[in-house]
Amino acid sequence: MLKMWGNYLTVATRALMRHKVYAFINIFGLALGLAACLLIFLYVRYETGYDRWLPDAGRVYQVQTLYTDPETGARTRQEATEGAAAESLAKEFPQIESIARADSDRVVLLDRDGAAANAELLLADPTLFSILQVPFLRGDRGRALAEADSLVLSRRQAMRRFGTLDVLGRTVTGIRSGEKYALRVTGVFEDLPRNSQLGFDLVSRIRESDKADCGWGCINGVVYLKLRPGASAAAVEAGLPGWEKRNIPRTTVDGKTVSEGDAFDWTLVNVRDVHLSGAEPMWDDRPENDRRTIATFSIVALLILAMACVNFVNLSTARASQRAREVALRKVLGADRRQLIVQFLGESLLLTALAMLIAVALAELTLPWLAAFLQSDLRMTYWGAGGIVLPALLLVAVVGLAGGLYPALYLSRFQPGAVLRANRSAAEPTGSGRLRNLLVIAQFAVSIALMACTAVVYSQTHYAQTVDPGYQRQGLIQATGFNRSVIARQTDTVLAEVAKVPGVTAVAGANIRVASGQTLNVRVSVPGRGDSVTIGWYGAHPDFLETMGIRLLAGRALSRRFANDSAALPIDTPQAGEAGMRSLVARGLNVVVNALAAKQMGFADPAAAIGKQVKANAFGSEYGLLPLTIVGVVQDSRFRSAREPLEPMIFYDSAYFSNLVVRYDSPDPRGVLAGVERVWKRLAPDVPFAGDFADAQLAQLYAQDEARGTTFAGFALLAVVIACLGLFGLAAFTAERRTKEIGIRKVFGARVPDILRLLAWQFSKPVMIANLVAWPLAWWAMRDWLNGFDSRVDLGPAPFVAAGALALAIALGTISGHALRVARLNPIHALRYE
Amino acid sequence: MLSMRELSRVYRTDTVETTALDGIDLEIADGEFVAIMGPSGCGKSTLLNVIGMLDSPTSGSYVFDGREVAGLPEAKLADVRKHNIGFIFQSFNLVDELSVRENVELALLYHDVAAAERRRRVEEVMDRVGIAHRAKHRPSQLSGGQQQRVAVARALVGNPKLILADEPTGNLDTQHGEEVMKMLQQLNREGSTIVMVTHSPSHADYAGRVVNMLDGKILIERRRAA
Repeated sequence: MLKMWGNYLTVATRALMRHKVYAFINIFGLALGLAACLLIFLYVRYETGYDRWLPDAGRVYQVQTLYTDPETGARTRQEATEGAAAESLAKEFPQIESIARADSDRVVLLDRDGAAANAELLLADPTLFSILQVPFLRGDRGRALAEADSLVLSRRQAMRRFGTLDVLGRTVTGIRSGEKYALRVTGVFEDLPRNSQLGFDLVSRIRESDKADCGWGCINGVVYLKLRPGASAAAVEAGLPGWEKRNIPRTTVDGKTVSEGDAFDWTLVNVRDVHLSGAEPMWDDRPENDRRTIATFSIVALLILAMACVNFVNLSTARASQRAREVALRKVLGADRRQLIVQFLGESLLLTALAMLIAVALAELTLPWLAAFLQSDLRMTYWGAGGIVLPALLLVAVVGLAGGLYPALYLSRFQPGAVLRANRSAAEPTGSGRLRNLLVIAQFAVSIALMACTAVVYSQTHYAQTVDPGYQRQGLIQATGFNRSVIARQTDTVLAEVAKVPGVTAVAGANIRVASGQTLNVRVSVPGRGDSVTIGWYGAHPDFLETMGIRLLAGRALSRRFANDSAALPIDTPQAGEAGMRSLVARGLNVVVNALAAKQMGFADPAAAIGKQVKANAFGSEYGLLPLTIVGVVQDSRFRSAREPLEPMIFYDSAYFSNLVVRYDSPDPRGVLAGVERVWKRLAPDVPFAGDFADAQLAQLYAQDEARGTTFAGFALLAVVIACLGLFGLAAFTAERRTKEIGIRKVFGARVPDILRLLAWQFSKPVMIANLVAWPLAWWAMRDWLNGFDSRVDLGPAPFVAAGALALAIALGTISGHALRVARLNPIHALRYE
Repeated sequence: MLSMRELSRVYRTDTVETTALDGIDLEIADGEFVAIMGPSGCGKSTLLNVIGMLDSPTSGSYVFDGREVAGLPEAKLADVRKHNIGFIFQSFNLVDELSVRENVELALLYHDVAAAERRRRVEEVMDRVGIAHRAKHRPSQLSGGQQQRVAVARALVGNPKLILADEPTGNLDTQHGEEVMKMLQQLNREGSTIVMVTHSPSHADYAGRVVNMLDGKILIERRRAA
């Protein structure tokens, strides 16, 4: 028995050594496919493994908000929810063991060296750490947020701020409204892994006043809850509609009773599923992903692996004639079919195992690069629960059997009599060539489809970043934090001083900026129209439109020369602010709207909107509706990603702004940025400067699409390489099989170009047919993908034709060597002896 | 038709030098039917290949149809070959993937012949060798004798001045062998020049002249009494 296997091994190894090209194509092609599969496997496990490490993860849920757009009916999902929900949920649902709300606050903290720096501070209920049981290194999780000035740090923050983990009781100084305050460290927790959706590393206790300020209608944070063991999330969800009715207050706006529950619904999402829930993330810096992307990558990886298997099947059956004699002899010597099948499957498993070794090496080599590229800490371990040894062995078994089964059945079928008697071609039954052709068509269909998709993804990404956004994209600097009280008081001084920086041509403040993640809305009712409409509500300095380069379509821009253009409110005391709002509502406000807003308000064209009055619920129903007079209409502009719909907007002069916007024209943009920073630091040294070039921030919006495009390009390249490896091998065997025919043709007068044309046509046909399969599939997939963009390229024939032509060129290039060799062969070699 | 003087063909590898043809002098006139005989390895097939310009002599002169062809480049040889010579092989050398008609037509594809004319000539020659009723069949569906008829038709369709047959009956049984020989004899009577390599003395009797070879040299030539 052992002798038999030894014999199989000898024959298998020698067969490989004798046909090095065949062996290389099979093993290397398979290794590429397996490596792609391994990498995707690691990636998928990483992406689906978010927050699985949390103790009791199965019972921990995030309360997400579902928003239904009243105009379009479109539903969006977001992680951020109304913190006000937390209290009543805990009261109404006994299944909930514990619940916590957490708001994110951008604060200014002093570094070790005393410099002011922005920091993202999570303000949470004390129950947070009993729900999200992140491992504590120092301190007591139960009491960590007991006091108002408690501060819990991650290991990284502790090391950065103190250089040690033993920091309990030490203080971190913050600055609010120009005043210093102290936070006392009460706990240190282990750094969160990168595949965690919990994006915090500084946690303090939420203030009761903040809770009171952010009631129903204020979506400012996240709510996490833990269910009691055995409690069902579905049961809680089933009770949510009733809970909405009982707990969300109804208010009267413009004579109608409305409630937050009209447009919003709530749902529980397990903490492990948050990452792939498709919800808008609470923290912008957390990587987003969705199940469709993961599924797409998995399918593509499997397709590539299937292509490598196809090469295996194709080459094995193509060279069947060479093994036919061996099969016949073994049969004559007493082997039965079962033994032969075992032999050939064994060979196939051996090849696959060899390929897997190479694949693991390839994966090891490319993983660090891929991990950096996908901004994830993908790691490959061999043993244990997360190890790849078991999946790899499984893959070897599946691929080895899948790739080897058909050749094994096929080869073992040969009848010894026929094979030993006949010339070679008689050993090959008709129809196997057709199967090979079908498989080649399938391979090229995948390659062409991937190439076409890559082209579309790239052109859309390029388009999104270059299409006219409705403002002048180049030469723009933006800085956030312009509304921090110390610098907000000096708004006009800052604007005047920044204007003096060499290279600066215009400067303004606004509550909107390019690539902003923040949306501010107001409900607007138009006289004579039934429903109110939701429109973007953005404070902007009168110079904002000019600074951005947004064109005026009708009327005039805002100006400080008209008293009614100003919505300046006192910011010194809450009482002064309230009085200001009341007098503003009584007086009315002039605004500029964009074309889309004018259209949604029901005006036929921009000019028709000028001078018209609408009413906005700007300050809440207790203050009454603010009358707005439209004095100007500007062109629409796209401040956010091309994925998001164009936004209707109202611009008003709010006197204070969250962003500083600077237009420059200078050969030294960095110098201008530094100049702006100097002005900022001089006027408000305690407010950190957070400024950058707008196009860099915009590019960040499309970083993910670009990464996806590059990943697709990588896959397409891999698919093409594997398809070409297969074609190369097939061409070699076809050339060999057709040597006699080509010899005959040459004897009867065919020249080298005639033969080349013949072979080129033979290999072009499957590639051309592959187009017919690939084009509709790629078109369908890309139309679907492009539908995710509000502004998108036309899906024309160019990328498809180009992909087809490229595939054809690559295929012809691949086979040209063989074709030329066999075309130049002296025919007598082919014809002298059979 | 052709004349060879002091013609040699030597095959060299790194270690061995084999003289396949050694100082051949041979004249073949228009309308002749010549049989070449001899033991295996005597150089018959090499001689036939050189005559058919599938192989080039190492030295000596080869004048075909009044033109010196020894030393012509391959492309030129292919051109001369295609217009003047038809081949018949022992193993038929039909293309399995093509039908009988397509196999015959193959020999005209690389000539400058209009499609209609090509069809006419293919039908005519298939008729002549008695294979027209099998025009749509694949070679694998025919008997050996029928396959060789297809090969003969293919050799004839280009109206060659010279037909070269390399053991045309070698793969056939006696009856089919005789049939093919009678067909070649008939073609010769109708004016074709034929050079045939054969092992069979009885088939050599169909030829007007027999050339006997040994170790690359022509041993004796004898003419059959007419």
